[in-house]
Amino acid sequence: MSQKNRLQSGGRIDRSKALTFTYNGRQYKGYKGDSVASALLANGVDIVGRSFKYSRPRGIVAAGAEEPNAVLQVGATEATQVPNVRATQQELFDGLVCSATNGWPSAESDMMAAFGKVGGKMMPPGFYYKTFMFPQSMWETYEKFIRKAAGLGRAPLVNDPDEYDNMNQHCDVLVVGGGAAGLMAALTAARSGARVIIADEQDEFGGHLLSSRERIGGKPAADWAAEIVDELAKMPDVMMLPRSTVNGYHDHNFLTIHERRTDHIADKAPEGQIRQRMHRVRAHWVVLATGAHERPLVFGNNDVPGCMVAGAVSTYINRYGVVPGNKLVLMTTNDTAYQTALDWADTGREVVAVVDTRANPQGERIEAVRKRGIKVVTGSAVIDVQGKKRVSGVSVGSIDAKGEKVTGKVQHLSCDTVASSGGWSPVVHLSCHTGSRPVWNDEIIGFVPGATVQKQLTAGGINGTYALDKVLAEGVKAGKEAASRLGLTAADTQLPNVRTVREGTPMALFHIPHTKPTSRAPKQFVDYQNDVTAAGIELATREGFESIEHVKRYTAMGFGTDQGKLGNINGMAITAKVLGKTIPDTGTTVFRPNYTPISFGAIVGRNCNELFDPKRYSAMHKWHLENGAKFEDVGQWKRPWYFPKAGETMQQALDRECTATRESVGILDASTLGKIDIQGKDAREFLGRVYTNAWAKLAVGKCRYGLMCKEDGMVFDDGVTSCLGENHFVMTTTTGGAAGVLEWLELYHQTEWPELEVYFTSVTDHWATMTISGPNSRKLLSELCDDIDLDKDSFKFMDWREGTVAGVPARVFRISFTGELSYEINVQANYGMHVWEKLFEHGAKYNLTPYGTETMHILRAEKGFIIAGQDTDGSVTPIDLGMSWCVSNNKPFSYIGKRGMVREDCVRKDRKQLVGLKPKDPKAVLPEGAQAVDDPNQPIPMKMLGHVTSSYWSANLGRSIALGVIKGGHDRMGESVYYPLADGRVIEAEICSPIFLDPKGERQNV
Amino acid sequence: MSETLAPENEVATVAVMNQLPGRDVRAESPLYHAEMDKLAARNPRAGGVLLRELKLLGHLTLRGSQDNQSFMSGCEAVLGVALPTQPLTSVEKGSVSVRWISPDEWLVVLPGDQAFEVERGLRAAIEGHYSVVNVSGGQTILELSGPNAIDVLKKSTALDVHPSQFPVGKVAGSVFAKSTALVRRSSEDTWELVIRRSFADYLWLWLQDASREYGLVIKS
Repeated sequence: MSQKNRLQSGGRIDRSKALTFTYNGRQYKGYKGDSVASALLANGVDIVGRSFKYSRPRGIVAAGAEEPNAVLQVGATEATQVPNVRATQQELFDGLVCSATNGWPSAESDMMAAFGKVGGKMMPPGFYYKTFMFPQSMWETYEKFIRKAAGLGRAPLVNDPDEYDNMNQHCDVLVVGGGAAGLMAALTAARSGARVIIADEQDEFGGHLLSSRERIGGKPAADWAAEIVDELAKMPDVMMLPRSTVNGYHDHNFLTIHERRTDHIADKAPEGQIRQRMHRVRAHWVVLATGAHERPLVFGNNDVPGCMVAGAVSTYINRYGVVPGNKLVLMTTNDTAYQTALDWADTGREVVAVVDTRANPQGERIEAVRKRGIKVVTGSAVIDVQGKKRVSGVSVGSIDAKGEKVTGKVQHLSCDTVASSGGWSPVVHLSCHTGSRPVWNDEIIGFVPGATVQKQLTAGGINGTYALDKVLAEGVKAGKEAASRLGLTAADTQLPNVRTVREGTPMALFHIPHTKPTSRAPKQFVDYQNDVTAAGIELATREGFESIEHVKRYTAMGFGTDQGKLGNINGMAITAKVLGKTIPDTGTTVFRPNYTPISFGAIVGRNCNELFDPKRYSAMHKWHLENGAKFEDVGQWKRPWYFPKAGETMQQALDRECTATRESVGILDASTLGKIDIQGKDAREFLGRVYTNAWAKLAVGKCRYGLMCKEDGMVFDDGVTSCLGENHFVMTTTTGGAAGVLEWLELYHQTEWPELEVYFTSVTDHWATMTISGPNSRKLLSELCDDIDLDKDSFKFMDWREGTVAGVPARVFRISFTGELSYEINVQANYGMHVWEKLFEHGAKYNLTPYGTETMHILRAEKGFIIAGQDTDGSVTPIDLGMSWCVSNNKPFSYIGKRGMVREDCVRKDRKQLVGLKPKDPKAVLPEGAQAVDDPNQPIPMKMLGHVTSSYWSANLGRSIALGVIKGGHDRMGESVYYPLADGRVIEAEICSPIFLDPKGERQNV
Repeated sequence: MSETLAPENEVATVAVMNQLPGRDVRAESPLYHAEMDKLAARNPRAGGVLLRELKLLGHLTLRGSQDNQSFMSGCEAVLGVALPTQPLTSVEKGSVSVRWISPDEWLVVLPGDQAFEVERGLRAAIEGHYSVVNVSGGQTILELSGPNAIDVLKKSTALDVHPSQFPVGKVAGSVFAKSTALVRRSSEDTWELVIRRSFADYLWLWLQDASREYGLVIKS
């Protein structure tokens, strides 16, 4: 198809660069510089979608972010699908593939159309609430159907191949909007020496100037803008971000900018390039120069393709060289829109009439239009439109001075395009994001930004200032003010010469009356994307939804991807009129981030796949990888879980690891345990206050197990702390609890006991820690260490010694989490791998077996050793754990948790207490989390006694074992409890001591 | 080969230990597995970001009060340079650099084989309440340089790295990607990141990724 609406010359497109694109499966041509919308209009494509509820054909109405209808699905391949792309904001590139989002199966011939027309009557406001809520069980069925029919676009079904990222920025002044005001503000601030970022959502800076025929300083406005842009681009501390939408304005002048870096080049970003970038900006000052959106008027059938906003028509003509029709009728409440009639007439196409709602409009542009011989019908309005897939004509009637009723005869005019202008609505969205409410201004007939707590300035259209000379002046003023507030000497930017246009007073009119009452008149659309009509708003208010927030939710006005940019103010005005209130009394709904839809990719940035979350590794990780370890996540650490040999199941590997450790020697990488170096003369006293047990008498060279509680007396961490010197200790914590424990120590030191002389330093990463455990561990160690006397009577259980292991200085701790003879070897992490490998060189003859966290869990459970966080859950005291031996009440100073532990609730006899559990069937392994009951045949809900916290198959014992909490369990030894499972089985278990193996601890004392 | 520092007639209050083995023992820095020397050998010649690991250095964490004269003067005498007391600053003299971390905490970086001697020297020179902890095995330093190093930093940290806010010599600890780093600007376009061993591989992946659009050159 030829570009039948394309002008031979003019506009900012490059006619030497023809581009081919596909819309709804058909190929079209456009030019470099086109938006998808301008290219579609050039090709005479009228219908870009079907409406949400009534399935009415819809065309392009606007030229920017406010476009409600031309919301397309873009993407040539499955992986590059992007939903909800505004055709008005998508630059055309060669090979672009897009299709209408709405319309099932196609926008041209919609299967829903018939249903829609009938369904329209069935779908009044509140439709979802009234119709689809009951029966509730059917909602999922309804929803699928509605979603498919409504067509909200779709996400790709395969991974997006492109990369997105985030970047942090700081500046003195962030200027939002690169139009006349924004450019002047940025230039003035930058010339004053400020660090400036200027962002604009379009591909070129200039905003409205790019489609204007005004002159600045004797030059075409766009040329003037280009000169300013050149100057800004040369300044080192100015960052210019085109194609970048400032989407969110958050507290403390934190703003998010969504930059589309390659969406204009191709479907997929060129190799090595980032497709979209989210800039996270901290700005000392923000200048909002966001401009204004033109309001369409609300009249009968105002959604028929061919109905457009007046300024958008001018933009298509002046910027893109596209006339979106042949015969224009323009309806306006103001002078500004007359320019559209002049622009249209200049293309050589027909302006049928300008219909002005004012009785006696006076102004320069009106005179110019009349001089061209264009018919101007005053005191009148287009009350409805004829046509289905394209406007074919309009009905024009005279109206009263208030615009409330049609007063005279209605005449018919034949045309294919209706441009309307009800004035302009300042783009106040960003200023509202931080909680500021906009303020109605009668003079400009719109909301302007209200008071704010942010360091925010505004300039130009956002203030309702539309005359170009005043817009430029406000830009300079904002730039100077920002500079001087920053303490800079504000540069004085000369204002260029601009001709002032004499204008008459606009009329405050939103909803055009009809000869019929609103409820009977042809549909008068307020919100195109959600099919909200004036009649619908009237109905909502009649049904009692009088708050504007309720009207919004009842009618769906302002929802959707456009968030009511075009229709909201009209909707509020209609609500106010029906309620007999003023617009300020009616108020606005709340604007929230984001201003326009943003892809998840840009939010996520690089925090995906391998970089989703840090993976922490020990110094021996490579060995684990090379030896086939399966890994378990413990916090962010990747810890070996178990080391299967070829052909082994997990259970077989665990059985082998468990047996080898108890029979000969196993080795565990324990580097991930938290380690905190504690120095200072009060270190010992501090330990006594944070642990429940006593530390006063722990001698140099000795180790002790400790329990740590929070104030409520509940256990939160445990570990072994060793006395390295009289004023020097090293504390170990659980792997997951390391950071929390260090913070806890600092918190108490800094806030409660700052007088104690003690310092804490994390040494978790500094030491590589390997534990050799089993009856042959001494023999193995003796082969690699000749400077420590390993004799059982000189290096006893719970001692530590300094020495050399495999040539590396080491601290060796004789502590045990398995109940076996064990040595924990600590060396500086840079040498961890060397020592680990040497242990294996010498360990082969002892069948040195690496084991992971799972075998560690089994071996410690055989001994009844708890794991904080598994056998405890923040509701368990040391007494509940049967660990009163680890609580000392003879300390001179109190300790954290002491008071909590003696609360009435904590000394109840029927508290859940930790016990061992032996299933009656020794082959049955209880699931962790299973709930115990006394009588499995009682009716549901059963009376639950506690749950299984740890449960394993023990190869060493040849049976299943478990730990769990049972109400009053310490006094129920030998009794049975029952675990009814989800699969119908019931496992009976005997309550027993949690120590299943070597109750006297002889194995670790050899 | 190891000893506990015990002034004459006093109980050993702190365990000090020379943690370095003989030269025949292979040391593996946190990024040993990345084989950066090999990568450096087959690098592209040009790129916007240059990266190298300043590995196996000595890192000592110092804690003490600025009001403790013995601490301040002892540190200056042993380190050859006074501890920086101005927040967010660093000092450097010869092969020793000192980064301010908090009003009572500093990081001393020095050649790896000097850590033990310096710790002993400090303990001999200082009286009162203080601590010295050898953390050499727990961290490493990545040096970023090149014209786009600053862009990589902007992708990674919310710190303002503009020269007016982050001059040469400044130090700041902050979130870095999803880990942490102690960032120091060591020259106009050179930055040092002190990072933790266990996070080194994550940050290595992160930095490769963040540098890709500018071209990454590995230096040995």
